Order: sequence, then structure tokens, then C-alpha cells
Amino acid sequence: MRRGTFVRWGVPIAAAAVIGAAIGAGPVIAAVSGDPVLPERSAEQLLADAAAATSKQQGIAPMSGTVQQTASLGLPALPQTGGQTSPLSLLSGSHEVKVWYGGDQKFRVAMPTQLNETNLIVNGDQAWYWDSATNTATKLTIKEGSEQKHTTPVPQPTDLTPPQAAQRMLEGVDEHTSVRVINNAEVAGRPAYQLVLTPKDEGSLVQEVRIALDGETYVPLQVQLFAKGSAEPAYQVGFTQVTFTPPAAENFTFTPPAGAKVEEATLGEEGFGKKAEERAEHAADVAGQVKWVGEGWSRVAVVPFKLSDLQAQAGQGADEANGAAMLDTVLKSATPVSGTWGSGKLIKTKLVTALLTDDGRLLVGAVTPEELTKAAGVK
Amino acid sequence: MSTADTQTGIRRTPGLVPVAETMRTTERHPPEEISAPVPPARRTWAFWRLLGSELGLTFRRPRNLALLAVLALVPIVLGIGLWIAAGSGGDDEMSGLIQDVAGNSLMLTFLSFSFLVLLLMPVVVSVVAGDSIAGEAGTGTLRYLLAAPAGRTRLLAVKYLNAVVFAYAATAVVALSALLTGLILFPGGSVTLLSGTTVSMADGLLRILVTVGYVGAGMAALAAVAVALSTFTEVSIGAIAGTMVFIIVCQVLRAIPDLAPIAPYLLPTWFTNFDAVLRSPIDTAALRDGLLAFGAYIMLFGSIAWARFSGKDITS
Repeated sequence: MRRGTFVRWGVPIAAAAVIGAAIGAGPVIAAVSGDPVLPERSAEQLLADAAAATSKQQGIAPMSGTVQQTASLGLPALPQTGGQTSPLSLLSGSHEVKVWYGGDQKFRVAMPTQLNETNLIVNGDQAWYWDSATNTATKLTIKEGSEQKHTTPVPQPTDLTPPQAAQRMLEGVDEHTSVRVINNAEVAGRPAYQLVLTPKDEGSLVQEVRIALDGETYVPLQVQLFAKGSAEPAYQVGFTQVTFTPPAAENFTFTPPAGAKVEEATLGEEGFGKKAEERAEHAADVAGQVKWVGEGWSRVAVVPFKLSDLQAQAGQGADEANGAAMLDTVLKSATPVSGTWGSGKLIKTKLVTALLTDDGRLLVGAVTPEELTKAAGVK
Repeated sequence: MSTADTQTGIRRTPGLVPVAETMRTTERHPPEEISAPVPPARRTWAFWRLLGSELGLTFRRPRNLALLAVLALVPIVLGIGLWIAAGSGGDDEMSGLIQDVAGNSLMLTFLSFSFLVLLLMPVVVSVVAGDSIAGEAGTGTLRYLLAAPAGRTRLLAVKYLNAVVFAYAATAVVALSALLTGLILFPGGSVTLLSGTTVSMADGLLRILVTVGYVGAGMAALAAVAVALSTFTEVSIGAIAGTMVFIIVCQVLRAIPDLAPIAPYLLPTWFTNFDAVLRSPIDTAALRDGLLAFGAYIMLFGSIAWARFSGKDITS
């Protein structure tokens, strides 16, 4: 080898190094410039500030950004029959939505996929749902006092916005949780407080829940769920890019394009179609039969459940066919277990364990299998 | 040099005794000594003249023209197929994309691109780019090209620019063919974007122009990979096949959901990002990320090609 050869090949190596540095520039710059340090706050102060900031007359400040949701729950690979916009697909992989919030009940959520886009545009009491894959614009009329519409058990795309997710999490703060505040986190390039909720219970599969609040506006920017024994969050939803400037007004106006199908639906009255109502009814039905065992983070839900019922129900309709396929996959990964309480099938993921007993009960909880079998003994 | 020879892309220089150019012969005369007396203006002129002659060869070669013709044919077939489907099928059976195309002439361009960037356009570009150095080496004409006091870097730059121009030509051919087919078969007028908003036809044409720029840049990045492979072999089919394997392996890796984290590092992932222009507002972040990825690929594989080619023993 001549010396010139080494010098020459140094050029592509240098190029690779430059590219690698450019890819890793974000973390490196963050490391060099040091973590942003915000004034210290206790958890109560932070929550009070956050509550004050969000419950002001104008609510959250107008903003826009990109929200990314990543789930690695350790579920068996789900069949992708529902397409990318199916709610079931939110349970695995990574998804991105774009959010524009203009204050005054004006917001737009867009879910861009390959050569397709679904949009939810809400402007006051008028709402449009646009799906480019079916070329359908649905005019949604929101009835007064119909806030209960989210009782459907499937996740909706609008659940992705960090404020809502954070609100749900904060409801769980009680004596079973130790709370601390980190004041040097950074989310979407903004200094942020991180509220860390750690379950005190040993049996819980949840290591901790981290809620990042913007250091300036106290808008929840990110929610992370860490499972025990893994450094990467099992579930994460948060802004990857955010700006707190009012977005352009044309984001909140929608006129159905020529040639598109226009449908109308009223939320709250007829439900979003008949199916959603049935589902909600079914969910309420099930909720009435649920028995809770344990407290706090290691609470286990016991539901009367027959596999044959579900399989029969899963056979109907196109949407349920996805459910059937998913059910089959999930059941295949189940391991048979038995004990003094009886026997059944155990489905274990990073965050949630489910036990389907042969005597027709379904136990679900964010707990270790041991805790779950213990709960199965409680009749 | 006869016209027939030029057309088939084979260079023959009668009267010159074939002498193998090795590192020893080139190092005896360091390139600086030769190129220093030549005024810069004349060197740039020579560069453009060489590029012009390369382009002439590329675009006169029947094989390349046939490739472009195949590319032009696909949007026409696609357009006629959709036209028949839109004419016969009921409104309910049509998917949104077919409705979009049937409703507006410009949408056929985007649909054609979304099909062609996956495989056919990469094939066409890699044939020309993979042939660039290896083809000359294979037919024994590379040493004559280097016999002129040109320098290998300049020859490589000319070869790569030639491939880039061809990549943009292929992109433009697809766009023009789709546009013409669309204008003939489907109604014109304002364009419905994926976000459901409507823009004027002039705006739509502008967005097609942006798409051509973006897809062309993606193909230029692929050409860099092909040229780099081309410097490693004297058999052009090897470089072409190598590039095709690269593309297919990337597509397979992209299709595996568990490998989603590595997808951003694969070149073909970024090809389809042109649909950002169909959103409202235009997703400039997606386009910028794609162009940065293309730039990174051009930089990396360009430098690999240079390192290999400038130090290569040219024996044929």
C-alpha cells in the first residue's frame, strides 16, 4: 500500500465522519451546551403553575407542531390489515401527526401517510373529518354536552395530543406514587420540566411515567411510559417539533373539494355511526361487570369473559375481521399457566399482563404475572 | 472517429498504441505540473466540452433512449387504465387516489412518480450511471480518455454530472409524459391536495416542478452510488446489478416493520417524500430532510468513487 492510498481513502472516511457527526449533531450540541436548567420547582408548584396556565380564560397558547407517538409494548406483531390509519395500528410502531392549535376551539390534526392524509379540522362548533384515501369529507356536528363521546375503548387519533394524555396520567397521582421533578429536560428543542411518577408498588410493571411540561408555557410536551427493566420508553407520545406562534387561519377552514363525497354525522346524538354507539354501549356494559382487585398501580381488573363470545362477535363486519386476526395472533402467543386458582392462558407484554382463566374470567393489569395469579385467587 | 462508432458509444482512436496507464506512469508526471500552465478559463472550457460530448454520447445511445421510452410509456398505460376504470366503475368502488386522478389531470403525475420511484426509475438511472466508468474500462477506452492531460478527478466529475443530467432527464420524461396523458384524458382545472384543500392549476404545475426537482435529486444520489460501484469493476453489468441489489435490499429492509429504526438511513425511504408537496401547507421539513439525505449519499459515495478512481491502476 502506498502512502497516497491512505490519504485518498481518508477523504471518504472523513466524509462518513462528517455525515455521522451531522446525524449526531443534536445530542452532541446538547451535551456541549449543557442541559437547560430551569428554576427549581416542587411537584405541587409545577402542577399548580401548569393548571393555572392551562385553565386561564384563553386556555393553551396557540401553537403548532409535530407529535410523534411510539409504542413498543412488546405485543406480538399485529397484522397490519387495518391500514395505517386504523386505531389498532397505534398500538405498535411509530406514528406521526401534525397539530395546529389556534385557541378558541380551533384546531387541526393531520395524519400524513404515504400519498394519503386524514385530517380533523375543528373550528368552533363546526368540525370536518377528511380522509383522502376514500375521498370523503364528513361534516361533524358536535352536540352540546356530549363530552362523553370518548368512552369507546379504541384509541382515537385525537388522544395523541400531549395535553390530553398528561391529564389522564395526572388523574392517577395519589398515595401509591412518588413524584419528583427534573428541571433540566429538553423536549422538541425547548427546556422543559419533567414530572416523574414512580409507582411505590413492587408488583407493578411500570417503572416510571415521565411527563414533560414546557418550561415557559407549561404545555405538556411529552409523556413517556417506562416499563421495568428497559431503558427505552414502552410508550411515548410527544412533540418532536413545536412552535408557539398562532398558525395560519387557513388551517382551520375547510371546504369540501369538488368531486369529494360529503357525509354528515352528529356526534353525541347518533354517535359516530351506529357502530361506535354499539361499541360504547358494550363498553359501558362491560364496565358494569368489572371487579377491581388490589389498589393503585397494581390494580387488576377482573372481567367476566368468554372466549367463544368474542370469537363469535369478531366474525362480523370488516372492522371486526381485523379484530379476529389480531385475537388469533395474540392467543397464539399466550402461554398456558395453572395454579391453585385454576388454569388459564397468560399473555405477557412489557407493560400489561392479561390472564384468561378457563372458568371464564379475564384479568388485566400492569403487573407482574405473579401478582396477576395472586389476584386470580381472590374470588 | 466515425459517426457509427460515436452512436454505439465506443471510442476508438486510431494511431495510438495502447499503453497501460498505471500508477507508475501517472506518478512520473504529477498532475499539478501539467495543469499549472493551462489557464483556468481553458480548463473549464475543456470540462464543459467533455461534458457536452459525454451527454451527446449518452443521449444518442439507442439503449438509453429505449430506457427513456419505457419510462414515458408507464404513465400513458397507467392513465389509460385509470381512464377505463373511472369510466366503467361506479363512484363507490373507486378509491380516493383513482378519484383524484380522474378528477384532475395533474394528479396522474404524482401517481406515476409514486409507482416509478420505487424500482423502474432507479433501474434506468443505475444502467447509465453504473455504465459510466466500468463501461469505458470494459471496452478498453478508459485509458484514452485519461491520455488527455485531463486528470481523473475531472473525468469522474464529468461522468457523474452526465449521470445526474440523465437522471433529471428521466424524471422530466416521466413528468411530461404523465402531464400530457393527464391533460388529454382527464379534466384540468384546480387541483385537490391530499389535505383536502384546493389550489389553482398554476400552483399545481409549480408543485410538479418542485417534485421533479426533488425526485431528480434522489435519482442523482442513486447515481452517486452507481458511479462509485462503477469504479470498482470493469464489467458494467456488475455495477448496474450491484446498484439494483442495493435498491432491492433497501426496499426489503424497509418492508420489515421491526427494522423501522434503520429506515431513515436507507436511500429509497426518501424517494417517496415528494408527496409533501401535496399537503397544505407544503411539508418543507420532509423535503429538507430528504434533500439532506440525498446530499449525504452524494458526498459519501462521491468521495468513495474519487478515492477509488484516482488511485486505480487503469489497465484497460
